[in-house]
Amino acid sequence: MQVLDLNIKGHIRTPSYIRGKSGTVIQFCGFFLNPEDLSVGITGGPVYPLYRVSFAMEHLWSNYDRSENDELCIEVYDHWLDTSNT
Amino acid sequence: MHEHKHDDHLPVVAEDDAGNLEGQQITTALQALLVRKGLLAAGEITLEIQNIESPGTHLGAKIIARAWTDDAYRQRLLANGKNGAAELGIKVGEAQLEVVPNTPDIHNLVVCTLCSCYPRSILGQPPSWYISKAYRARAVREPAAILEEFGLVLPKGKKIRIHDSNADLRYLVLPERPFGTEDLDEQELMALVTRDSMIGVAIVASWQKK
Amino acid sequence: MRGYHDIGGDEAGPIQKEELPWLYWEKQVEAIRNLLGDATRRLVSLDEMRHGFESFGVEKYSRYSFYRRRLAALIDTLELKGVLTQEELDTEVTRVKANWTAEEAGTGVDKHDHG
Repeated sequence: MQVLDLNIKGHIRTPSYIRGKSGTVIQFCGFFLNPEDLSVGITGGPVYPLYRVSFAMEHLWSNYDRSENDELCIEVYDHWLDTSNT
Repeated sequence: MHEHKHDDHLPVVAEDDAGNLEGQQITTALQALLVRKGLLAAGEITLEIQNIESPGTHLGAKIIARAWTDDAYRQRLLANGKNGAAELGIKVGEAQLEVVPNTPDIHNLVVCTLCSCYPRSILGQPPSWYISKAYRARAVREPAAILEEFGLVLPKGKKIRIHDSNADLRYLVLPERPFGTEDLDEQELMALVTRDSMIGVAIVASWQKK
Repeated sequence: MRGYHDIGGDEAGPIQKEELPWLYWEKQVEAIRNLLGDATRRLVSLDEMRHGFESFGVEKYSRYSFYRRRLAALIDTLELKGVLTQEELDTEVTRVKANWTAEEAGTGVDKHDHG
């Protein structure tokens, strides 16, 4: 599943280094309020599904040289995931 | 839009004496103002400071030692870290706790690249290196090099799994139980567990009977 | 748009393993934020505080220590919400500095790390 590179301003919890990269959803964490909203005082929702996504390190970094099996796991809110190619 | 040089990250930015003095003076002023405005009660700060000082390595070690000695507990802990901690009387204040087990095949490492997220309600205050820009920047890119700086060289076949603690989960590494500890009780096992092994920059070394 | 705090993957120097002490004022900052963010007050959430230090500019982000950043973000957020003004805080800071003695007598605050 690919992480979108959305043009959202403000308090984002999707770091740049995973944007546009493809990974595998490994866990559904539940529903959470969106930090983008919470950071500006919007506390009433909506809630968003949150997933843990795993990325192969060699796909994140062009010169990663340790192992093709090394991976990075990170939490991504649903609206940052491109679900069109499941 | 901004421009900033990415190699400007100093290892640790610390206040000098003047900076710390000013930090204290501003904080004193802020607290006095908030108390006068009725937003804080005078004694609350002291109590809250006690609250934030009280968690530490000992709480994490308790969880780890129990998981080492009780397989059923370990399974419950891995399925739901917050509930697992609660079984031992440890209240996790963060939304969720994910306990990530080291195995012969996998070594886990935890970082928060965006700020400093850390299981504070269990382990207390993160070490200054964890919140440093150097660790935050490099851990997700060259974890093996970071581990080597901490004196840990992993076997080539062992997979590294880095967790960027960026949202609602907090992570605790469950280190492998070292060899030679079969006869140790839970208290003795707790004494072996280090904070750094629960972040993932160290393992719990093998134990030798003296 | 990449925030100046979004540094995962950047190059940086060696890890400085020597640990800094956790000073009293730093604990105070955390305590104040926790209390103001509690269920009865809800004045400053962690998300709002983070947004604060992600917005106050790369210069402060580079220059300030970790807790100094949080203190600044906390103050900015309180000001944004009309809880206090920079002017009244400055007045209070001036008063605190004027009464500050070598032994901190009379301020009612022990600035030393409580261990």
